[in-house]
Amino acid sequence: MNNGKLKIGIYELTGCAGDALLILDCEKELLDIFKAVDIQSFLMASSDNRDGKLDIALVEGSVSTEREIEELKDIRERAEIVIAIGLCASVGGIQARFTDPNEWKKKYKEVYGDIEMTHTKPVQSKPIDAYIKVDYYLPGCPIGKEQFLDLFTRAVKGTLPERYPRPVCVTCKYNENDCLLNKGIPCLGPLTADGCGSICPNHNVPCFGCWGPVEGANLTSEYYLLKEKGFDIESIKKRMANYSGTKLIDFLKQFKKESK
Amino acid sequence: MKKISVDHLARVEGNGGISATIDGKVVSDVKFSIYEGPRLIEKLTIGLTPEEDVSMSPRICAICSLSHKNAVLRSMENALNIKIHPKSYLCRELMHMGEMVESHSLHTYYLSLPDYLGYPNAIAMASDFELEVKIALEMKHFANHIMKVLSGRYIHGENPIIGGFGTFPSRDELIFIKNRAIQFMPFVKKTVDLFCTLDYPDVPEKETIYACCEPGNSNYGFWGDEILLSTGEKFFRDDYQKLTNEFVVSHSYCKRSRYKGKPYSVGALARVNNLGERFKGETGKMYKKYFNKRWHVNPLFHNAAQALEISYCFERIPELVDEILKYEEDPKAVKYTAKSGKGTGLVEAPRGLLIHHHEITDGRVSLVDIITPTAQNAEDIERYCQIAAQKLLDSGKEDKIKERMELVVRAFDPCISCSAHMAEVTHTPSGSWKNKLEEIRKNSSPVYIGAGQQDRSDDACGIDIAQKLRGLGFKDVWLGSEIIRDDKLEGYTEKNTLVFFDAVDFNEKAGKITVLPLEYILTHSSISHKFVPFAASIKNLSLQKNAYVVGIQPDSVARGNKISPSVQKAVREILNHLRN
Repeated sequence: MNNGKLKIGIYELTGCAGDALLILDCEKELLDIFKAVDIQSFLMASSDNRDGKLDIALVEGSVSTEREIEELKDIRERAEIVIAIGLCASVGGIQARFTDPNEWKKKYKEVYGDIEMTHTKPVQSKPIDAYIKVDYYLPGCPIGKEQFLDLFTRAVKGTLPERYPRPVCVTCKYNENDCLLNKGIPCLGPLTADGCGSICPNHNVPCFGCWGPVEGANLTSEYYLLKEKGFDIESIKKRMANYSGTKLIDFLKQFKKESK
Repeated sequence: MKKISVDHLARVEGNGGISATIDGKVVSDVKFSIYEGPRLIEKLTIGLTPEEDVSMSPRICAICSLSHKNAVLRSMENALNIKIHPKSYLCRELMHMGEMVESHSLHTYYLSLPDYLGYPNAIAMASDFELEVKIALEMKHFANHIMKVLSGRYIHGENPIIGGFGTFPSRDELIFIKNRAIQFMPFVKKTVDLFCTLDYPDVPEKETIYACCEPGNSNYGFWGDEILLSTGEKFFRDDYQKLTNEFVVSHSYCKRSRYKGKPYSVGALARVNNLGERFKGETGKMYKKYFNKRWHVNPLFHNAAQALEISYCFERIPELVDEILKYEEDPKAVKYTAKSGKGTGLVEAPRGLLIHHHEITDGRVSLVDIITPTAQNAEDIERYCQIAAQKLLDSGKEDKIKERMELVVRAFDPCISCSAHMAEVTHTPSGSWKNKLEEIRKNSSPVYIGAGQQDRSDDACGIDIAQKLRGLGFKDVWLGSEIIRDDKLEGYTEKNTLVFFDAVDFNEKAGKITVLPLEYILTHSSISHKFVPFAASIKNLSLQKNAYVVGIQPDSVARGNKISPSVQKAVREILNHLRN
């Protein structure tokens, strides 16, 4: 079919399917999305799926089985542009929290025992860029609707949006929230990438870091600031581990290095 | 051998498939596989603070994220001995209504209805059913709105916290929700009429056990402190393992559950079967109008049950808003001092009973057990697909198997991210029984049992094999008569697999060998009767799911002492195979 529309595929690897669901949750825009492009594959929404050449592939979820490695490589071969959507595809997600392979093996055994899987072998959970080249990352657990629609409309016009190199605090200030850190509540806002609209602090709940670590943050300054305010740096680091996936290692290195 | 498979189950949430293998005239294997990788959530949360766990556990599933939130909160609050304010309790129920309507409207209109109306997806359906699709979108949007107002955002909202809420919705927001819910009622009634009158096929139909939460006070509802079974049995929340008994299978990263060795079902259909009499108002009237005994036995009625529940929610939402508005003050989240404790939280997620169990030691999570609805339904999904596949094969409709299996799986609304793309049908090549026997021998220690009757010609073949195996020095070999009499199976565990040898009439060429799970024989209409005494005599029920029948097609089972040449040949083949 050549109707001048971009061919798009939406794929789900291991995760909670929240990013694909968020696309379905764009109720008011959904029919327009389906009309603006030619959706070749979107398993959650359609049973009429094809495996041909693609202009853009949106991939959600982390790579956690051998089958997914093959599937992902096939997607890369077929697609001009691959976009990682969501925290799992971008950094491995919560299931990439065990960064040490031995620890992962041990925990895997605790859950599944010695039974040998016949359908596909497990692999330690990793972001998709561990196996293929990724052209753009849209973080978030789950992705934010505004960021997704921004990305989608730009992509349809043949460009990709700039990334969002700012922490949650920026939006939180716009929203005129009282700073939770000033109240002694351990909030991860200054260390976490923005995109959620500072939703948790808006509700008087501290940021849990679900967009992953912010790029280019002044971690030295953050380190001293948090320490000065009397926060326990170890528990902050532990809390950052929950949603940083494989990026945690880089984050901790920087945090440690700059805090010397 | 022929295999029918749907590799990528479309229009289900997650990544899984279903396959059926056909060996001649019987369906010899059905597998509901979940390709979704292992996530080890129960291990990831060990060592976290209770607050961090409450943030992280709902990430198991985006669609049921608020059910997970409610379950983990109930579990933690039980463990930490917290009693929340009634306003928080009511707001959590309202939030749950949002998720229930969101999930059910997505599933009924967008994932299931295209099957019945013959479209690949809801968008394609929209060209002919524009109004339905648009209003259903509005309904889903409204449900999402409720979730957003209460939990903070559509998916993975963090506003519900241990002890209550971060912030409460305003009076205006609540009144908007109430009024909007009332406006939807005419469309809600149409939804029930539509989904209760769809032409649901009568294959598969079979009894099962239904399990759900007991909401208490003779109310319908989506949580409770007890589990209620369709058998009438009840368990207190901390005794949930009496129902679930989780185990692992080699074709799925989603664990499985059985009750007393039997598959059971959870979900909207289970709730309506167990609690439907408790519906009041319009929903009660519609329940009385549409509910009938087919709902007891046919999993496809899940969609009809979901429609009734949508109606229940729309009637309950205005009541809830009125009750919430009675409390003008917003209560602060209840503080807790406990550092250690154990708790269980039971919630009805849209797809069924969801259980969270947590233990806290010195302020950190030390043990987590989470049992999701799809993990409990997986065994029944396989069983119903096997029944459907065999029935269709028997009536010469093999071409329908794939489509029907997809319909069954979709009806269960599996949230495959709970751990699962979708159906496959294959035929086995001749001699595939050898591979199956090898697989059994590789993965467990087999116990061989010769069944049949000595004085009924070919029916003696099972006994003949057992005696010869003993003669060859095989251990763990029994005769059917010894088992019924002396309970020889007592010492065996689930590491053992029972392998029965017997003459089984598959309507095939005499001497054909087929290996089948014992359960398939039990659900097969024409060959089941003979095996029932055996199945009933296996007291150790975990063994029943690890039981296979090596069946030989007999030539004759008339009175007599002679085994026919073709069956004798089959006996020799089996013995030769086992000896090597």
